[in-house]
Amino acid sequence: MATGMQRVAINCGGGYVPGLDKAVIGAVLAAAELGCDVVGIRDGYDGLLLPEQYGGEGLIKLDPRAVERLDGSGGSILGAGARTDPFRVRRVNSEDMVEELDRSDELMKIIRAEKIDAVISIVGGSALTGAHAFSVAWKLSRKGLRTVCIPKSVENDIGATALSFGYNSALSYTTDTLERIRSGARDVRRIAVVEVLGYHAGWLALQAGMAACADAVLIPEIPYDLRKVAERLRRNEEAGRSPALIVVAEGAEPAAGTERIGPKDALRKSLAPLSDPRFGEGARVIERSGMAGQAVALDLQRLTNRETVPFSLGQLIRTGMPTAVDCQLGLGYGAAAVRAVVEGHSEVMVALEPPALKLLPLAEAVNNVRTIPADSEFLRIARTLGISLGD
Amino acid sequence: MDQTVSSLTPTGIVVNIQHFCTNDGPGIRTTVFLKGCGNRCKWCCNPETIHPKPELAYNRSKCIGAKACGRCLQAPAPEGAFYVIADTDDRVHVNWDLVSDAETEVASLCPSEAIHLFGEVMTVDQVLEEVEQDAAFYRESGGGITLSGGECLLQPAFSATLLMEAHRRGINTAIETAGNVPWAFMERVLPHVDTVLHDHKLTDPERHKKWIGVDNKRILANYKRAYEAYPDKQFIARTPVIPGVNDGEEHIRSVLAFIAPYKNVIDYQLLPYHRYGEAKYGFLGRVYELEDFERPTPESLARLQSIIDEAFGRTSPTGA
Ligand code: SF4
Repeated sequence: MATGMQRVAINCGGGYVPGLDKAVIGAVLAAAELGCDVVGIRDGYDGLLLPEQYGGEGLIKLDPRAVERLDGSGGSILGAGARTDPFRVRRVNSEDMVEELDRSDELMKIIRAEKIDAVISIVGGSALTGAHAFSVAWKLSRKGLRTVCIPKSVENDIGATALSFGYNSALSYTTDTLERIRSGARDVRRIAVVEVLGYHAGWLALQAGMAACADAVLIPEIPYDLRKVAERLRRNEEAGRSPALIVVAEGAEPAAGTERIGPKDALRKSLAPLSDPRFGEGARVIERSGMAGQAVALDLQRLTNRETVPFSLGQLIRTGMPTAVDCQLGLGYGAAAVRAVVEGHSEVMVALEPPALKLLPLAEAVNNVRTIPADSEFLRIARTLGISLGD
Repeated sequence: MDQTVSSLTPTGIVVNIQHFCTNDGPGIRTTVFLKGCGNRCKWCCNPETIHPKPELAYNRSKCIGAKACGRCLQAPAPEGAFYVIADTDDRVHVNWDLVSDAETEVASLCPSEAIHLFGEVMTVDQVLEEVEQDAAFYRESGGGITLSGGECLLQPAFSATLLMEAHRRGINTAIETAGNVPWAFMERVLPHVDTVLHDHKLTDPERHKKWIGVDNKRILANYKRAYEAYPDKQFIARTPVIPGVNDGEEHIRSVLAFIAPYKNVIDYQLLPYHRYGEAKYGFLGRVYELEDFERPTPESLARLQSIIDEAFGRTSPTGA
């Protein structure tokens, strides 16, 4: 077990969630209580690797006074704009070429020179950037850096914890927005098709959709057939319930055989070598925020007698004030992470296993995606409420 | 730097050979995409050509499933590099951060070629054998071979030998370049090129650095020197039009002013930004820095095109 006054650094991986600073405050207050020093690293590891971007102030000294006025809204004091992967740092070389270099060993030296004993990283969520920060933390911990991770995700898709920090606020804001959109759409007799975040996991779509009494919820876990959705809407309408709201997770996909096939053109062939079919078709890629919702809106309009209107909530829901649940969770995760450092743990993630906060090996948390199981009670309730799941 | 190929071994790293292309120079052409680029355009539509070495790619639709196979879930594949998500289909996912450098070995594990390598070492003869399959089309359409990338000039020995040999076999040659290479590389390849398609992406050096990763001083110096050194070659300037980045009139006008003194710059073409690169970011998994760009509208393209047409003394087909 480590002893003596420890210096703990805290940083955030890419991707903002509401109330990020609550975890920072939790860590700083706990550190004061447990006798540690805390510094914040700005924008992931950019503050250490590219200090010139911050006028030499890539590290922020954090104590209870410094965090006194933080209320958890309006972004994080640390910045969540990490662009630099320590294992692939971009630079322009002496021959004027851009290249990527592995600077992780150098980072480890800088961390030692700054006398940082351990790093608490708030990471996770969002299929690409969030998961990436998780992997970076794991790789650094395998290089000998003492690491404790805090899970954040507005999609609640981190498998090793029952609740990711940021999800509850995103759910609340999404539900509120869906309610507004639904009542507007109902009054003008249109169907709003709203795309929400959720690349692998449809928690946000399902739970917010249920809360806002959506007519259908399409999630990545259940490939959808829009003919079945249209049929369900027709039956609901016959029963006196006019359709107004479809919620689509961005990773939702049509069932095999029902998908639309896009055209190819000559320009594509000339400019894009991999439009060649021998590289395979049908890779599952989100082209851009809003595409999944737009595709559903267009097809549903063809299949029903209603006009549809697509909306995309996208990244909007990542911002704003945290809910009470997230305030508590952030403070709790921050404090538990510092406690873990003081107790000498490393390569762990703090996780909620109600009612306890636990520590799990990082290896169990990386790649562990929390999807909606087929026998989920939420799915049963949704079906019982007459919500189409597209199957 | 490892982006060059030794002159003693004129082999190149080729990503793909695309047949029947109609936008890469005169006539119907066969385009050979080479690997390696010293720029990092945020809209890059060929991300698989950026890295100079062969790299791993994954086509999930070809995976036969972890239960049926699962070879990539065990050693020698690096721990955590491949994984399955519970309650979804059984096909694996890739954690690109954990694939490490053992890429070639990992690719050979997969029986279904779901995991494969982008980039293959090829000889001049191998490339030309495939290119010559289209010889009949070149004769009829006035087409030929085009080297693209990536940046084909970063493999100067291979590119020069390949194009020289193509010429010897009577095939018309073209290259697509972004110009960010040492002049010596250009000087080596250009004598064997009939048409030089070259990008003018942005005028302002600071903004060039922001969006492309390097400023454009060397690029412009190279172009000027090339226009002057090769008066008999055909040069075609091109701009990939990215809304909000370089779709202003000033850029178009400054490119026109730059090329105006040179009669061998026979055209200036606009390439509307397209999104075809995005599926490939998925295949590669690597997030370079793809930003969410819109396509240019037909109206803005027509407006910019009319400026070019006027400068070249043509009537705009759009009537704008
Ligand atoms: S080795 Fe290939 S086919 Fe087998 S599970 Fe992995 S990706 Fe799928």
